[in-house]
Amino acid sequence: MNSQLAILVKGELSRLNKYGVFSISILIAVIWGVVLLLVNSDFLAGLLPFVLFLDATMMSIMYIGAEMHFEKTESTISTMLVTPVSNKNMVLSKVLGNTIHNLVSSLLIIAVFFIAGKAGWTYDVGFNIFVVLAGVIIATSTFTVLGLILSYYQKDFTEMLVSMFVIAIFLMIPSVLLMLGVIQGEEWENLMLLNPMQAAQNIIIGGFPNEAGELVFGFEYFVSLGYILFGGLALFRFLAIPKFQDYAVRQSGV
Amino acid sequence: MFKVENLMYKYPKNKEDVIRGINFEIKEKEIFGFLGPSGAGKSTTQKILIKILEDYRGKIFYNGKDIQEYSDEFYEEIGVSFEMPIHFSKMTAMENIEFFLKLYKNNANIEDLMKRVGLWEDKDKMVGEYSKGMKIRLNIVRALLNNPKMLFLDEPTNGLDPKNAMILKDMIREFRDQGGTVFITSHIMSDIDQLCDNVAFIVEGEIIEMDSPRNLKIKYGKRSMTLEYKENNETVTVEFPLDGIGKNQEFINLLQTKDIETLHSGETTLEDIFIKVTGVALRDE
Ligand SMILES: Nc1ncnc2c1ncn2[C@@H]1O[C@H](COP(=O)(O)OP(=O)(O)OP(=O)(O)O)[C@@H](O)[C@H]1O
Ligand SMILES: [Mg+2]
Repeated sequence: MNSQLAILVKGELSRLNKYGVFSISILIAVIWGVVLLLVNSDFLAGLLPFVLFLDATMMSIMYIGAEMHFEKTESTISTMLVTPVSNKNMVLSKVLGNTIHNLVSSLLIIAVFFIAGKAGWTYDVGFNIFVVLAGVIIATSTFTVLGLILSYYQKDFTEMLVSMFVIAIFLMIPSVLLMLGVIQGEEWENLMLLNPMQAAQNIIIGGFPNEAGELVFGFEYFVSLGYILFGGLALFRFLAIPKFQDYAVRQSGV
Repeated sequence: MFKVENLMYKYPKNKEDVIRGINFEIKEKEIFGFLGPSGAGKSTTQKILIKILEDYRGKIFYNGKDIQEYSDEFYEEIGVSFEMPIHFSKMTAMENIEFFLKLYKNNANIEDLMKRVGLWEDKDKMVGEYSKGMKIRLNIVRALLNNPKMLFLDEPTNGLDPKNAMILKDMIREFRDQGGTVFITSHIMSDIDQLCDNVAFIVEGEIIEMDSPRNLKIKYGKRSMTLEYKENNETVTVEFPLDGIGKNQEFINLLQTKDIETLHSGETTLEDIFIKVTGVALRDE
């Protein structure tokens, strides 16, 4: 990582911290801990993959959208435009900052569920931490890039909420319905591979064992992994970077 | 240092050009002013010169090289202050400055700068808690923190009280005296008059006149002597041309015979000249 990028990422993280997002993550993890301790439900323990999936997808879009919106109101991006920072590093630092934050957030949640399992509050959800974290990181980066691009075109906070709503209805709910078995069948499963939400879910759930207690990396896992990885890179390379200057100028108000 | 040839610009959403074929040159170690009413295209021109707006027509050279050929290293050498103060409001002034400082190879002495603009005491305050004038002063520190060779200042004194405006103008002059070059926009005539070595009058995207304030005054100004005296309990005002006043018999007569109340020599202000030359007032008052 070059030093300019390192400075930018550090700046992003310290700003995210100032905006209180790390405190929110800690708070959420603590709430999960308390709920798991008090409710003692195996159903809740089984929600871990789902929670991680939501964090990596919807929450990533929301966090980056909120951050971009906030920066818009401060017009700080126009100042960044007149520093020797390249647009690529500027965009990359936002993606990395958001991904690191979500990684920390996910690790906290994972730790809480892990402790709950080991302490006997719930059943012990086994998982392969490396596969889970790889899934979380890749999904978060891609969905952050997606959220970033969406934010270029959102005029205000309300529009961001609307676009999240649209994503939830058309992408997330079908994938949840499939997970719950409400919709079934191979055609659906194959069609759903086109849904980035589903793909993100697949690569995170891939780290959790099936009912037989084994990790299975099938066709679906690898297709999803390739889709999210290369889709994210393509979005970054062909939309997030080239459209940044336009966006920055448009919202700068200088 | 900066050479602009037949510059034209149209905002993507608009039909008409807002900059309509302007030519000017900013020489090294000078303060070059853009004076014009609201909406004339001052800020737009600045944004083009600092490579924020890209789809312009015409040519712009910085040190003999087309600015389009410069990459981001261009910004190592320039300092920019925008019309609006821009900072991370949830960070302290010093955190803001330190963040930006790290992005440049060259670093100015921040303590000196902050003391100069009177913000050193408040350096650990959140910028969100700063007053408007304080934010503007911080803007100047931000523009100077990389020891730039060239400064771009968009209405830098706007929103400052007279004392701080004075400090800022002194800083700008010192910057020039130490070898820096300055592009400054304003619709405040006195700023331009006090600071600029050369000034361009810009109206509706066109440069109407360009010269040093002094030459403009010689060219367009009339110098006069105004005399007020009392006669029959009424004040009478008469004006004489300043040139050859010592031989003006009528003037001498008045001085010798009347009860003089006031005697002023008057120069036409740059603002008067602006109105005369462009036919437009700087402010709608
Ligand atoms: N982002 C934009 N999109 C479309 N038109 C714009 C935009 N910014 C400025 N303009 C138009 O361009 C013209 C010049 O604006 P500019 O901001 O350069 O004026 P100015 O001389 O700086 O005025 P002021 O003294 O009020 O700051 C105005 O007619 C303005 O309406
Ligand atoms: Mg302006």
